Amino acid sequence: MQSISETLLYEISAVLLECQPDDNLVRVTPETEWFEYLFSASSLMDKYHIDKHLPFLSNFLIDAKEHWKQGKEGCINSGPWVEMYQGQELALEALALNFSRKHFILIKNLGETYLELSNTLQIARDNLLTAEKLEKELIKRNAMLKHREEQIALRLLAAADYRDEETGAHIQRIGLYSKAIATALNLNQDILENIQIAASMHDIGKIAIPDHILLKPGSFEPDELKQMRTHAELGAKMLKGTDIPLLNMGYSIAMNHHEKWDGTGYPNNLKGEQIPIEARIVAIVDVYDAMLSARPYKKPFSEDFVLQHMTENRGLHFDPNVFDTFLSILPEIRRIRSEVQ
Amino acid sequence: MIQKKICLIGAFSVGKTSLIRQFVESIFTEKYLTTVGVKIDKKVLELEEGPIKLMIWDLAGEDDYTEIRLPYLRGASGFIYVADGTRAETLTKIVDIQEHIDADFGRLPFVLAINKHDLIGEWEVKQSHIDHLHCKSWSIHKTSALTGESVDQLFTDLAQQMVKP
Ligand SMILES: Nc1nc2c(ncn2[C@@H]2O[C@H](COP(=O)(O)OP(=O)(O)OP(=O)(O)O)[C@@H](O)[C@H]2O)c(=O)[nH]1
Ligand SMILES: [Mg+2]
Repeated sequence: MQSISETLLYEISAVLLECQPDDNLVRVTPETEWFEYLFSASSLMDKYHIDKHLPFLSNFLIDAKEHWKQGKEGCINSGPWVEMYQGQELALEALALNFSRKHFILIKNLGETYLELSNTLQIARDNLLTAEKLEKELIKRNAMLKHREEQIALRLLAAADYRDEETGAHIQRIGLYSKAIATALNLNQDILENIQIAASMHDIGKIAIPDHILLKPGSFEPDELKQMRTHAELGAKMLKGTDIPLLNMGYSIAMNHHEKWDGTGYPNNLKGEQIPIEARIVAIVDVYDAMLSARPYKKPFSEDFVLQHMTENRGLHFDPNVFDTFLSILPEIRRIRSEVQ
Repeated sequence: MIQKKICLIGAFSVGKTSLIRQFVESIFTEKYLTTVGVKIDKKVLELEEGPIKLMIWDLAGEDDYTEIRLPYLRGASGFIYVADGTRAETLTKIVDIQEHIDADFGRLPFVLAINKHDLIGEWEVKQSHIDHLHCKSWSIHKTSALTGESVDQLFTDLAQQMVKP
């Protein structure tokens, strides 16, 4: 007659084996159908020699032997593995345990438990993949929108460029210098994302200045100068009134890049930190690049001269803190200048 | 006949199971069924040196070395590391895992599959990253379990490395 434990194991689709000193396993409870099918190739009567027919189990036996040798309480498990049985996947798990100095292996059919485990993991992984996809999609869309804004801005700038002696390279450099300084100043992400293109728009108002003034070689008469200076407000007007962060910053820079730290700039005589930080940055790099550039009516100045002149204006024309940062990254500024000609 | 154990390792959903199914049964399934536990497939490959029987261990996808059950790797003669070309981070992760395995198991033959090459338009893995691994003499295959591209080559390449004296 079968004992209650034998019946029980059979009912839960598990088979208990005892490991003998010669490393063979002896079955101690009744065999189930799947067990018979899988283990027949490894059996001699009720003894089983697990080898290459059941590579997973044979690998687990190495861990089992270690566990038995240590004579520890409790059991270790193999984790689930899958065999093919009657054209279907059969999920099994093995446990190795010590009991009364004897060594046992319990092999159980995971059945429903495995399906539940699989479902749970499947849902978790599907969710992770979906989340990953959504996040990527979002990043891609944002980048695309940003790219569009930039394209529009660059088109506008190109239009402004047709008439001016200020080359596209100058405009591009102003953007790059400004971004480098903003980064060194550790300004916030919004500024960092927009300042490069926004700074390039600083002179966009010049599009509305008549040729005879804009292109005049040499110095201006007082009323010409007055008209020339309107480019700041004109540019600001062109960029005003949208809810696009890039254009808003472009507005702020166009309007304020001729303001001076000591309040003697134009158009509003703003002073110190009344001048937005992005405009204080552009004020510096605009002077630097313009003085180093040749114009039809002037040769470029040497960098030594330019820096000396600018240093004299530290705290007058230029925000002293931003100016110091500018000096601290001069190597990078010079690299930009040599790369974008 | 020579018999060798190999393991496929890589993050979840990179296509480990699909590569094995394509190699062993020439089947591909669109639907994603995550692997739970271990499944072992067998296939005999005919090499110039003679036939070799591969015992192919398909492991559940793990992102991290610490989560891999190391006893499963015991006795392996070679590894196939798998990344998903459309998910750049799966390559970064597998490179990290390879370093750990190399340190713990000694240098064994291995190949790298960058899978889902049929989705080349959605690829994120940078050629520069691949070139960098080439420089470290990694053997790399751009595979597709869907079309079967380079799948046989992947397994054959590893098999050849394993039988080389
Ligand atoms: N287009 C395409 N899809 C693939 C390719 N390989 C796998 N897939 C799909 O990617 C998903 C995951 O494939 P699996 O083979 O299950 O991935 P796995 O690495 O075994 O995943 P885990 O078992 O969860 O670690 C499935 O939906 C496959 O159909 C491929 O080469 N091309
Ligand atoms: Mg799988």
